[in-house]
Amino acid sequence: MSDFSVRSDGIDVERIMQQIRARIREKRGVDYTEDEIRELASVKLDRFLDPKQLRSGLVEQFRKARESAPPETYDFEDTTIYESHRLPFLATIRRLLNPILKLFFNPNPIIHALHLQSRVNKRLVAKESLDYEVMSNLVLELTRLSVEVKNLRMRVESLSTRLDFDERRARALEGVVQLKPGALSPDLSTLGPERVPAGGSEGSEGDAASKAGRRRRRRRRRRPGSPGDEAGVGAGPHASQTSPGGDTDAQPDAEDDGPGTESSSGEDS
Amino acid sequence: MKLAVVVQRYGAEINGGAELHARYIAELLAARHQVEVLTSCARDYVTWRNDLPAGDDTVNGITVRRFETSSERDPIDFGLRSRVVFHEPHSLAQELAWLRSEGPTSPALVRYIRRHANRYDLLLFFSFRYYHAYHGIRAAPARALLVPTAERELAVGLSLFAPIFRGVRGIMYNSHEEQAMIRAVSDNAHVPGVVVGVGSKVPERTSPQRFRRTHGLSGPFIVYVGRIDENKGCKELFDFFLRYASARSRSLSLVLIGNSILPIPEHPRIRHLGFVSDEEKFDAIAAAEALVMPSFYESLSMVALEAWALGRPVLANGRCDVLRGQCIRSNAGLYYDTYEEFAEALLALTTDPALNEGLGARGRAYYRAHYTWPVIERKYQDMLERVSSDEAAAGESRLEPLPGWLARRHRTSPAATEVLARVPTGAVQVDRDGRSHVDRPRP
Repeated sequence: MSDFSVRSDGIDVERIMQQIRARIREKRGVDYTEDEIRELASVKLDRFLDPKQLRSGLVEQFRKARESAPPETYDFEDTTIYESHRLPFLATIRRLLNPILKLFFNPNPIIHALHLQSRVNKRLVAKESLDYEVMSNLVLELTRLSVEVKNLRMRVESLSTRLDFDERRARALEGVVQLKPGALSPDLSTLGPERVPAGGSEGSEGDAASKAGRRRRRRRRRRPGSPGDEAGVGAGPHASQTSPGGDTDAQPDAEDDGPGTESSSGEDS
Repeated sequence: MKLAVVVQRYGAEINGGAELHARYIAELLAARHQVEVLTSCARDYVTWRNDLPAGDDTVNGITVRRFETSSERDPIDFGLRSRVVFHEPHSLAQELAWLRSEGPTSPALVRYIRRHANRYDLLLFFSFRYYHAYHGIRAAPARALLVPTAERELAVGLSLFAPIFRGVRGIMYNSHEEQAMIRAVSDNAHVPGVVVGVGSKVPERTSPQRFRRTHGLSGPFIVYVGRIDENKGCKELFDFFLRYASARSRSLSLVLIGNSILPIPEHPRIRHLGFVSDEEKFDAIAAAEALVMPSFYESLSMVALEAWALGRPVLANGRCDVLRGQCIRSNAGLYYDTYEEFAEALLALTTDPALNEGLGARGRAYYRAHYTWPVIERKYQDMLERVSSDEAAAGESRLEPLPGWLARRHRTSPAATEVLARVPTGAVQVDRDGRSHVDRPRP
């Protein structure tokens, strides 16, 4: 929302535009001139260039090549072919004799072609500076993108590490809740109907599963010093080593799923 | 007074800026004077093909004499000649050939003016850049008034036009910027001139709701009216609006009115309505948050004046001196040079009702003070009386004669781009005494 305080009789568009420009400056931080922006760009170029990934001397090499062998050009006007440096009046005589010369051949197309060539040369020279600018900008952009990719890669790695840590922490906390000595088993009646199926074959499976879960917890309580307690603080591998029947997959499943009905399936099988 | 309006095309269905301007002025002056229109048979401003029959015709009660063009424009030839005269040192003969190539080449029209100029008290020539104006003024300089309708275009820098600007009896400018530019290229301060512009037939009442209902527009929108063309700044407008729509506003739409010769981006918030009736156009402007004018070159934006007449603010391209100057002098529009300015100005116009209403009110006042028909008529009347009362100048021509055959072929004229580059840029400020000066050159 803008905040210009205006009345219809007191509007001054130039003042409003100054306010708008001031706001843009505030947002941008500093109002850089074109030259300053160019200077900043070159500074960043030097700072970010990575010689392993980029020919950092490319721009410099191009610049030096241009300075050492500047492209040749010349001025060619329609009077050039008549000029004489030592005898200036000769130009007038040559010009006077031009009609006779024209009886033999027409010099105008040649003059025109050479004039055009001189213009083409000048354009090429001008284009070189444009090429340099384009190349410089490309190098700059490439460097910026390379730095940005590096930053993003580091961020992804950092996020991935944090995610791993959080997952481990969540597992550990779930284990603590599940395996704390003296903890009450969850009251299945408080769970929703979908978690407590009633009647039929599904109901009998659910009953069997909950009984198996209770059996497993009773077994753990009977062995207070067993490594199953340590599993509560994240010692999953120890727990699996000591699980009955030597089923190494069964215990981690139980840890993952906590005290639910599904955790018993591994043991029952 | 018997007057002739000389214009490149004329007709009720011809809606080009200068042509519409000429028709409005002819119809305005016809209330007090005997007015005839001298024009070509062309309807198309690119080819100048003879689409209409030659001879006398009547349009809205005004006699129109049409003259055939002797040749259509060859775009390749015109392009090549334009490149030479605009970008290279050249001769006056090359400029004359360029003018002939541009058209509408109607020697019959010029011949008629030369033979029958004394039938008219004054002749008003519209659009300096065309064949009919240049040769018509040369045929009757002592009776010529010019309405140049010049924008900051390369043709202004051609050397053949400077004597015309210096040699006519009076000039009706569209804007202070146009006046400053023409004075800079031709040094014609001695020629009586007045900044007039043109009014518009704005309806007393509009119905924004009807427009919204018809086109199913419920949210806020800005409107562009005119030819949708890159030369009119529409490409930049699309870029800026798409950036603005994605970053700043979730509801603002852009409504485009006019024929398109530029691909319009497929976007749910850009609506192209094509060519609509005048009634619908005025409804659209009245319903809009603001009118946007992205053009880089304008002699006088009639649609901006129409928006101001309807009390709507304008968001204009600040790189067009005329639009920038009009916004500053009217205090009725904001302008932009960059995307950041476009976004901030648009945000201000669409979210600050007090600012929006205030600018609209100033626009209405500006239109009433400078562009209503009585004001325009008074300015024309003053100029006609001033010129016709100047007995000393009436008989003689101040127009410099064309150089001789050989001199015309000397390549002494600089490229038009060089000439135009030397002309100061920027909006013109007008003092309380009425003196104008370029306020601050545009960077």
